[in-house]
Amino acid sequence: MFKLGRKWAERLEFGAFTLPVLISIIAVFYYPFMLTIRYSLTKWNGISKNPQFVGLDNFKQIFSGDANFLNASWFTIKYAILYIVLVNVLAILLALVLDMKMKSTTWLRAAFFIPYILSLVIVGFIWKFIFMQGFESLGASTGWGIFKLSWLGEPNLAFISVLLVSIWQSVGFYLVIYIAGLQSVPEDMKEAAKVDGAGPVRRFFSITLPLLAPSITISVFMALTNSIKVFDVILSLTGGGPGGTTYSVAYDIYRDTFQNNLYGYGTAKALILFVAVLIITVIQLTIFKRREVEA
Amino acid sequence: MKSKKAGRIVFEIFMIILSLLFLYPLFLTIINSLKSFSEVMTDVIALPKSLAFENYSYVWKYINYPRLFLNNTVITVIGLAGIILISSIAAYKLARTKSKTSNLIYFICIMPMLIPFQSIMLSVLQMAKNLNLSDSTWGLGILYWGFGAPLAMFIYHGFVKGVPREIDESATIDGASGFSLFFRVIFPLLKSVTTTIVIIDVMWIWNDFLLPLLMVNGSPSTKTLTLAAYTFVGQYTSDWQYAMTAMVMAVLPSIIVFMFLQKHIVKGVVAGAVKG
Repeated sequence: MFKLGRKWAERLEFGAFTLPVLISIIAVFYYPFMLTIRYSLTKWNGISKNPQFVGLDNFKQIFSGDANFLNASWFTIKYAILYIVLVNVLAILLALVLDMKMKSTTWLRAAFFIPYILSLVIVGFIWKFIFMQGFESLGASTGWGIFKLSWLGEPNLAFISVLLVSIWQSVGFYLVIYIAGLQSVPEDMKEAAKVDGAGPVRRFFSITLPLLAPSITISVFMALTNSIKVFDVILSLTGGGPGGTTYSVAYDIYRDTFQNNLYGYGTAKALILFVAVLIITVIQLTIFKRREVEA
Repeated sequence: MKSKKAGRIVFEIFMIILSLLFLYPLFLTIINSLKSFSEVMTDVIALPKSLAFENYSYVWKYINYPRLFLNNTVITVIGLAGIILISSIAAYKLARTKSKTSNLIYFICIMPMLIPFQSIMLSVLQMAKNLNLSDSTWGLGILYWGFGAPLAMFIYHGFVKGVPREIDESATIDGASGFSLFFRVIFPLLKSVTTTIVIIDVMWIWNDFLLPLLMVNGSPSTKTLTLAAYTFVGQYTSDWQYAMTAMVMAVLPSIIVFMFLQKHIVKGVVAGAVKG
């Protein structure tokens, strides 16, 4: 009797500790996720009480050629690849510099981090102002042609603008991760390589970079998940323009669901996005984890 | 040797100039928030001839800044307190219990990190409406518990594994058990990781856009600073001086917090990201 009592007391305590978090997570992720699956099989404008069940029609329609979704996917893929590569390369280069002992190191690290504490929507607006008004003045005072281009009005340039602004906002975050990674590279290893006659470039590629692998894994993972979901900065910077060339998948889903009131159809796209994110991140993590080496 | 040192100084100066260029957009934002409309239109890069603080009083009144600030604070505090509380106790219990159930629950808790918000946003909105959580700062704060828990659990779980079990045992012998053991003995030991989570989540919840847009955008009494700045700029597309003022006022709290917590922030990001 006593034993049974203790076992139940333990279970009760386990429940008391874990149920609150379980309920919260199920409420905001798992239950809505089930609803998402259900909505994706319906045609629903959000106003009528009962969504109309249409089976896999939404998916058929999307895969048989939804121009918006296709363009948005293409934009997102291009954006994600360039963003991941550029932000990581820049962050590693900056981290190498800011890992050196300089008087202003602390200040410099803080300076590059500051944009990251700003909301992306606001960052988008600030840059919209710079591109539209600021560049005019800068062009007038410097005479440089680069400031006279229409950075938000021409499709290719608008793409570059979105990319540049996202990188500007977040490079400081990745920089911090890489600085932490660099600090865990043992000094004696670099010294030994120096004694063996390896130059700075050789030392970087043969020693520092392989030992930086865990930081690269996590940074690429974060850059990947964030770039696939890109939304806020586009909303405020280009609004999807010019001519709908800068719609991302996340923005397209938002537009279908909340602006065009195609609740079922938008949700079906959202489900496709989830599957894509899942597959890509699992592949990325597996490949990168395999390449990591121990210091 | 001397030339090497001189080279370093030149290099350092170069880096400082680069960082100033990097922050130049923010500088332009601030100086243009202090200009009159005609000054903004004639020359963006010139310094203001006289400081137009009336931009600030105008925006302050127009968007009801104190109210928005309060809303942001309520949402962030409720969200954060809940995340810390429910994640720390659960992560502790799960890390201490070795069983299949425990592993399964942990997996269920961290798995959502892979679900993009856009995939569930409509359903979350519907659910919030059904539970009467929409159009309320409290309701939004409570929703953040679930959204913030997976990462917090992940970081806490990893950290608790490094806290020796002997501490639990000796506390039990001294008569503490259950919640009192956790809050009096374990929780204080988690201080550094709690700081990390506080910083990451405050930056996230304070600046979040899409969830507040869907949840509390309906009324001025529930809006957040970012939402107000967004609508404000939408209405004042050509009055850039007001738009820039609204931007500065929306980001100022984050910048002030950043200056105070700078050291911890950088450490926190490292702990959260590298371990996370």
